[in-house]
Amino acid sequence: MTRATTAAALGSQRIRQRKLNTRNGLGIVREDELEPIDDELQRNVPRIDTGIEKAEEQQVIPISSALEHHLQAALSASQAAAIGGKVAQIYIPTPDAVPSSIDYEKLYPLKYKQPHSYIRFSSTVEDVAGCPYDLDEEDEVFLRSMNKRKNASTQCSDVVFEEIMNCFEETAQSQQPWAAVDSPPVISYETTEETMDDYLDYAQKRFSKEIYEHWKTRRLEAGNKSLIQGLKFETGADTDDADPYVCFRRREVRQIRKTRGRDAHSAEKLKKLRKELEESRELLAMIKQRELHKREQLEVERQLFEQRTNLRQVKQNLPDQYKQGDEDILINQKPKKKPLEITQRMPNIQIPRRTDGRPAESDLLHLSEWHAEREREISEAIEEKIRQHQKWNEGFVDLTKAPLTPPSETGTGSTFRTATTEYLPTPPASVSSEHSGDGGMDFGTVNANKAESVAVRYASPSYDGPCHSQPSYRRRFGRGGRLLIDRRGMRMTQKENVDSAIADRYKYDDDDDENEVPRYYVDPFDTASMVFRSRILPGQPTQAQMQAMRAQREAALAAQAANHGNSSTRSSRQPGSDG
Amino acid sequence: MAPRDGSQERTGTPDTVEKGMATINTLRIGVKAFVEKDGEKRKAEILSIQRKKGEPNYYVHYEEFNKRLDEWIPASRLDLSQEVEWPQPEAPTKKSQKSTAPAPKSATLPKQTAGQKHPRTSNTVATSRKNSESPELSTTTGNAAKPARSPLVGGKENRPGSDRSISVIAPEITTDTPKGEDSELDLVDIQDAAAAAKASNPQHQAPYSREEEIEKLRTGGSMTQNQTEISRVRNLGHIQLGAFEMEPWYFSPYPSTFTAAETVYICEFCLSYFDSNQTFTRHRAKCTLLHPPGNEIYRDSSVSFFEIDGRRQRRWCRNLCLLSKLFLDHKTLYYDVDPFLFYCMTTRDEHGCHLVGYFSKEKESAEGYNVACILTLPQYQRKGYGKLLIAFSYELSKREGKLGSPEKPLSDLGLLGYRAYWAETVTDVLLDHEKNSKDGKGSSEISVEEIGALSAMTTNDVLHTLQNLNMLRYSKGQHVIVLTEAVLEAKEKAKAKEKAKGLTKRRIEPARLMWKPPVFTASSRTWNW
Ligand SMILES: [Zn+2]
Repeated sequence: MTRATTAAALGSQRIRQRKLNTRNGLGIVREDELEPIDDELQRNVPRIDTGIEKAEEQQVIPISSALEHHLQAALSASQAAAIGGKVAQIYIPTPDAVPSSIDYEKLYPLKYKQPHSYIRFSSTVEDVAGCPYDLDEEDEVFLRSMNKRKNASTQCSDVVFEEIMNCFEETAQSQQPWAAVDSPPVISYETTEETMDDYLDYAQKRFSKEIYEHWKTRRLEAGNKSLIQGLKFETGADTDDADPYVCFRRREVRQIRKTRGRDAHSAEKLKKLRKELEESRELLAMIKQRELHKREQLEVERQLFEQRTNLRQVKQNLPDQYKQGDEDILINQKPKKKPLEITQRMPNIQIPRRTDGRPAESDLLHLSEWHAEREREISEAIEEKIRQHQKWNEGFVDLTKAPLTPPSETGTGSTFRTATTEYLPTPPASVSSEHSGDGGMDFGTVNANKAESVAVRYASPSYDGPCHSQPSYRRRFGRGGRLLIDRRGMRMTQKENVDSAIADRYKYDDDDDENEVPRYYVDPFDTASMVFRSRILPGQPTQAQMQAMRAQREAALAAQAANHGNSSTRSSRQPGSDG
Repeated sequence: MAPRDGSQERTGTPDTVEKGMATINTLRIGVKAFVEKDGEKRKAEILSIQRKKGEPNYYVHYEEFNKRLDEWIPASRLDLSQEVEWPQPEAPTKKSQKSTAPAPKSATLPKQTAGQKHPRTSNTVATSRKNSESPELSTTTGNAAKPARSPLVGGKENRPGSDRSISVIAPEITTDTPKGEDSELDLVDIQDAAAAAKASNPQHQAPYSREEEIEKLRTGGSMTQNQTEISRVRNLGHIQLGAFEMEPWYFSPYPSTFTAAETVYICEFCLSYFDSNQTFTRHRAKCTLLHPPGNEIYRDSSVSFFEIDGRRQRRWCRNLCLLSKLFLDHKTLYYDVDPFLFYCMTTRDEHGCHLVGYFSKEKESAEGYNVACILTLPQYQRKGYGKLLIAFSYELSKREGKLGSPEKPLSDLGLLGYRAYWAETVTDVLLDHEKNSKDGKGSSEISVEEIGALSAMTTNDVLHTLQNLNMLRYSKGQHVIVLTEAVLEAKEKAKAKEKAKGLTKRRIEPARLMWKPPVFTASSRTWNW
């Protein structure tokens, strides 16, 4: 020490050292590259002011250890070596570990197979260490004597014994968490039974009563403390602090800066978490319910199966003539589809099913009922409208005949005309059948047509009026440009007198029941129809047409068919009419 | 270890040490006598007395020896031909302090009046204990020789444990992690330094109150602890672990009934503990664990590393801490394991992955520590595993992009291990750099911080290492780093030794580390979830 101090004093006198900057690059040199004079000085002045606090350094070693003989020896040895001294390496003596006499191979069997990839593992000791209760010597004595009283098949194994003891221990722990402090009486067998289902199965339970007595005795011996030797955790008592056995205290929550925002955020998160947990709990409860139902269903199916098996057996034993029949109850029938039901169930979804006992369907309207109701409402409304309209029209003479649906403006040519009131003018002599085309008669035709159309219109309505019985006709074009003639008002009042052949012929012509007037839409300004009209109405039908019509009328009259009716007579369309 | 009363007496009240001849019957706790140890007589303090088969046994602590060498001795090893030192009676002035100081040394001293100076016999002590007739440990508290006093012993620290058979107290040392007041520890001449440290009076240091210390534990997340925490008498006898048996070195808070057991059996894989062969064998029949319960993050031809979260594997980590407390004096199990990650090194065979050693690491260290506690199990010591553990801790720091340093104070073995690692690492960095610059790659100079960045060592640790190795010199007006003969020689020696042993040097290969620094959410830090 003296030497070092003197040298240090010398050194500091002679060389004024700069403070070392840890960021500056330092040259790396070998010892022989140093100047000897420097080296001699430096050897004893290794301490360079580094700005490190001395105290800091001392914290590396606890002061007590710093004074320890063996550590000092080791440190000084390494120090001596650092400055070139020859010293043997010194070890700090420690008590030796020696190979154990236990049967290692038996206790630790060769079970480990290294997986190819790095191990990833998250099970806890509790997961992998099996039942936490271990059978000890005292238990073994008891178990032996207990098993001695039983025959070989009903003996209790070590494993079962441990499970049962563990059940008691854990129940006691959960029922009396502070047993070590307030020493309550040992819990009763009845108490343990409540939770036993969680730990033990049926086969294990048969030993539980016997083992309970043993457990109780041991608990009483131990002052009702846990038989599983555990660590001492904090109890909140003052003695905790001084007790070196009390360990692994809860570390207090580190304080964090509290802000309103953080609080709100956390509260929000917690609420969400709670909600989610609640939801999953409900979901699980429902799953449980479902599985219970499934179990019931399986049970029912099993019974069904057994019944059927029995039935089959019975039938097998019956005389042959009874063997047939009842096949339908031996197999599952496909349930009949009820599509209506399905649609009815649609609104059902939102109705919680489990709230009341009776079927929810009973509250519901059938769709057909609902439709009927609507229909009734609509028709009532219509009736009402009609009544109102009639009331409103009271005192007025309704000449339109179709008050709610005014007659169509279209198809003037298609309206019916009374056949009898018309006297077809004699065709002018000059007109031949060749003029049926688009000849030079246009002017006169148009005029005549105009006059005629007016006349016709005034005469046409009221087939249900006094002139109802008058037969009427109408021409129209059918598909493919065919010309059709409709007739009406051909009443056949004396049907029964009619020759059967004729009656048969007009059998389907009777349209008394028809309550709807067929409507035919024809463009009145269509060239073709105008041409037609011009040719037909004022009276230039072809001879053939006239003859055909006349013949028909005569035939009808001759048959005295007074009933109105429609008969369509096919007649070929005139080629000229296309023009 | 600093003699508990020694330094106090020597420096504080050196004249009042009461010496005198003693007989077997007058020996009591606190007496310092000469004991035969490895062929020489050493002064030792009697910490506990117990009767085994009618013969008194003494638990002694040798002055200037680590506590791990404390042991039970028969009376025959005591040298009563020399004078013994009687325990220091409490000074009247200290009595008044007692009421004010939270946990002062004086509080634990017996309230002896002048008339009570005469020692009680060990018989009185022993027979006064409830279970003294049983062969189990019947330990009396440190200075509380008066049995009648024991329930009333003042101060929190030596209140007897509630256990019926043993009451072990924390020692009364008030010395602690030294504060700056103390004279500097000169590492140039360690013998001088030791003398200087001895000369300095621990009393000068501000005493660490128990409250302060707990506060430090709470806020600092520390797993190491103050000397005052340490229980003085080992509580367990033999330990059976895996294929080995060993003596525990220090107290560990295993269930207090375990003190009665001759051997404590510890399952090698789940580290559960048993006080009888019967229960242990039953456990082994059920236990299916074959490796530490976490993710393997490193694997090479000889070892694997597993990362285990203290919060997720609470049981296993507690078991590990209990086990390591048997061999780490300054470790504390005061608080739970949640804020730590445990990196466990194993070797493999067909039985499973055998735990060799581990280090714990705070999930978030305010001080930037990369290791909290570090231990190689005794059966694997002096095989180079310690260095591998340290190297791994720095490899993790490199992956994190941080500089790291172990939490202080280190144990004696830990300190030597770290020094050796640091020396080797710094030397390697310098040799590499020298070679590179000779090959024309990079500059020839290197700063202290660059060395730190290359090794993940803190600047302080680099500087200390350079100084300890006498490598930092001042030449031609500037600082240089000297690759000394001694350092190079040590390097050669180490190489030769490895060759001789036929071992390839154990080192961590960074490419085999499959690890990303774990990230912990704010809630897990805040709420300990
Ligand atoms: Zn195990």
